[in-house]
Formats: sequence, C-alpha cells, structure tokens
Amino acid sequence: MNIIHESLEESERMDLKENIEIWEDIVNIKHLVISLIVCSSTTLGGYFIAPQEPPKPLFFGLTGAIIGFIICTIFIKPKRLFIEANQED
Amino acid sequence: MDISLILQMIIAAAIAAVMYTIIGAAPGADETATIAPITLVLVLSGIQPAVILAFFISAIIACKLIDAVPVSIAGIPAGVMSTPMVEHAMILKKNGLTDTSIRKIASGAIIGTIISIPVSLFLAQALIPFAMVIKKYGDPVFFIGAVLLALMSKKRWIALASILPFAILIQGLRYMYWGIGVVPEGTNVFISFFLGITIGPVILTLFEMLNKDKRDSMPRFDKKTIYLKKGDKINKFPNPFKILTKKEVGYSALASLIGSVTFILSPVGMTTFFGELFASGTKDPVEKASIAVSTMEALAQATYISGTLIPLIALGIPLSPMAIGPANPLFNAPPVYNLENNMHHLLSTSDFVWATLIGAVIASVFTFYIAVKYSQEICTFVFKRIPHEAMLGLFFSLVLLLAFIDAGWINIAGVLLIGIVSGVLFRLGVNYGVLFMTLYSAPWIIKMLSIL
Repeated sequence: MNIIHESLEESERMDLKENIEIWEDIVNIKHLVISLIVCSSTTLGGYFIAPQEPPKPLFFGLTGAIIGFIICTIFIKPKRLFIEANQED
Repeated sequence: MDISLILQMIIAAAIAAVMYTIIGAAPGADETATIAPITLVLVLSGIQPAVILAFFISAIIACKLIDAVPVSIAGIPAGVMSTPMVEHAMILKKNGLTDTSIRKIASGAIIGTIISIPVSLFLAQALIPFAMVIKKYGDPVFFIGAVLLALMSKKRWIALASILPFAILIQGLRYMYWGIGVVPEGTNVFISFFLGITIGPVILTLFEMLNKDKRDSMPRFDKKTIYLKKGDKINKFPNPFKILTKKEVGYSALASLIGSVTFILSPVGMTTFFGELFASGTKDPVEKASIAVSTMEALAQATYISGTLIPLIALGIPLSPMAIGPANPLFNAPPVYNLENNMHHLLSTSDFVWATLIGAVIASVFTFYIAVKYSQEICTFVFKRIPHEAMLGLFFSLVLLLAFIDAGWINIAGVLLIGIVSGVLFRLGVNYGVLFMTLYSAPWIIKMLSIL
C-alpha cells in the first residue's frame, strides 16, 4: 500500500517537472501538446468534411474547434488548486 | 419605420446578446474572428440592413462586456482589445478580487456605451461635410497613427524602429502570395495576420519549447493556487454607477469621450495609453488596477461603437480599425454590399439611431446582468472545469483555421512567422497598437518606400 502511494507521489512529482507557465497560467507540456494536436485536427477535420459551399466550411471548422475544446476539457485536468475563502479572511 | 421591422431588430439583438454572451466568455474568442463571419452570412442572406445593424451592435457590446470573465479569472484576453487589461486584472486576481474585477469591467463597459452612442452620432453628423477630404487621406492616417502610438509608448525607440521592417514582413508575405497565386492579386490577407500578431507571444513560447536548452531552463511550477473570496450576493439589479467609485466613473466617462473622438486610431493602443495614464496617478496597487480595468473597458467599448458608427454614417468606407475588422461586412460584402452601395447608402439617420439603440440596450442589460450577477458561478465553473491547455488549443486551432482559409497551407507557416516576429517585438517592448497600425498601413508604407 505504502509503495503504491509512494509511486503515485513520484509520478505526480514527475508531472510537476513538466508544468510551465504560458500566458499567465500553468500548463503541463505534455497535455499542452496533446491539446494543440486534438484541437487542430478536429478544427481542420471539420473544415475539410464540410460541403464545399461557403460559409459551411467555416462553420464546420468552428464547430470542430469547439468539439476539440470540449474533448480537452473532459480529459485534461486544470492545474489549479481552488480555494474559496470568506470575505473577512 | 414600421412595427414589424422594430420587432425584427429586437429579436435579432436578443439572439446576438445571448449568442455572444456565450461565445465572448470563451477565452480567445477574438471579435474579428467571431463576429465578422456571422455578420457576413446575415448580409449575404439578404436580411434588412437595419436588422443586421441591431444584431451587430448587440453582438459587439455583449462580446466586449463578457470578456470581463476570461480576463479576470484566467488572465486570458478574449480578443485583442482586452489584452492591455490582463496585467491589471491579474493584480486584482492575486488579491482574491476576481469577481470585483468582473464587476468593475462590466460597469466600465456600460459607461462606455452610454457615452459613446450620442457622441458617435453627433461626431458622424459633424464629419459628413469633411468626408471627401478624409477619404483622400485615409492611408497616411494609419501610418501617422503607428508613429504616434510608438512615440507615446514607453519603449518608443524600438517601437519606432520596428514599424518599417514589420510593414515589409507583412507586404512581403502578401506579394509572395500574389506571386505564387494562392490569393488573387490585390487581395490583402488580413484576419489571419491580425490573429498571428495577437497570439505572437504564445507562438514564440511554443517555439522556444522546441529548443531543449530553452525548455530545460524554463521555470517549473507546482499547481497554481487560486483564492476566491466569497463576495456579497447582489440581489437587486446591479447598478453600474454604484459598483464603480466616483473617480472610476469620472475617468471612464472621460476615456469613453476620448475613445469616441479618436475612433480612427488603434483601439488597443488608445486603451493601453489612456488606461495607464489615468491609473498612473494612483499609488495603491489594487485601487490603481481597478481604475485601469474600468477605464480601459469603457474606452474599448467606446472605440468599438464609434469605430463602427462614425465611418458607417459619415463616410461609407471602413476607415477605422474596428470598421476594417469586425464591422467590415457592413461596408463590404460582395455581391450584396460594396463601397458604393452599403449600409451608409441604404439606411437613414433615424434607422441608424433606432438600430443602435435597440442593439445597445438589449445587449447591455442582458450581458451586464449575467456577468455581474453570476460572476462567481462563472468563475468557479471555469476554474474547476476548463484547463488552460484547452483554451490555448482552441485559440491556436482557430488561428490555424483562419490562416488556412485566408491563403491555404502556406499561410499557416506565414502566420507562424508573423507570430514569432511580433512575439519577439512584443517582448522587446513594442505594444500591440503599433503592430496593428503597421498592419493597416503596410500597403501605403511600401508604396511610399518604392517611390523614394
């Protein structure tokens, strides 16, 4: 049990080594690369499967972007510790 | 003006307000990228111009107002215009005042709207006699704007020195695209370059990550700890004049007035300049940041409205950064509108007034209420559910898509190049305003250089 716990901590520490700051927030390099690939492919994918009459490709592309975004929000956890405090604190 | 047209305007404005309250809250929802294509579709589908204008005004107000949310909670600009506010919103966030920041920004937006509509309508009427002269000098005005913004910025010499090289980069790419035939000669690739500049700093960081030494030397972080103070719930309808202090109301009103008069200059540049100027007199960092965000938002909202209405009513040519960007389909959407036959020619003064008022009132009331009343719910949801990686991915893929639409695969590399260069220039201290003005004036600059 203890060993499992330690190895979990170890992997979390390994993950932390890959956390960097871009544009005012923390991202994990691996997760960022995955997200860039997922969003780009759903977006361009949407664009290319659309019927070739404007403005449909644009809308399919935008829809693809939103789908990619949703996929990423489901599978990637935000790197934030969220603490709610009362006004007086 | 009959009842059915008014009813159509109300419905269009309501749809726009709801739609752009959602779209605008997503970080990176650049207004040019999100509003221009949909407006274009409406124009092409043959809807009455007054109805489209009501939709458009409602869309820009909702979209700008709601960006208070991503800026305040994530420090991510929801479009170019909110970039200058990020730094100040971050100070409020660090102090656990995220929802205060949202409320201050939203209230600033309301003041900007209230001031700029009458001022724009008045200015447009006053400008009509000079329309011909202004049309003649349109191009150099953008160049003068770039130089002025450079001189007014903190790092003025590097800003000044970067205007010509940056113009050459932009026109160089455009001429190359014409040369190899990916776009017809004379068509200026614009939107994707614009977005390339916007995410320049991010693109530069992404490129640096490809260099192992650079990557290893980047500072590493633990999870980010965010404190959210539970504020008092506002039960009655929030009053923007009570959320802001007297000083903030005064500065915001003054900034809106200035923003309306200087509609032709880069909104980002003006926002940065006057926001910093008004905030500079205050010592306390929190107070200073809240003056800065409310003033900047008021000014941004004012330049949006005046930048759309004044050229539309007085000139009929897209002679402002706003008109050349998001509002472009109102001026030029072949085959329905062109520069000889667009809203300027089709709508009467009373049409303009009605469409603007309907759009503005509906968007202001709805979006302001949502942003202020539910700021904490929105904050909590986004913090807990939306990873920063997904936001960056979304923005990056939108840039990719628009780059491809503008000029094919080659333009993706072109936009990356623009991103790298503007990212470097931005880090060296050149502000967005100078880069955008240069983007607008690049064709004229190169024409002048070739005469020398």
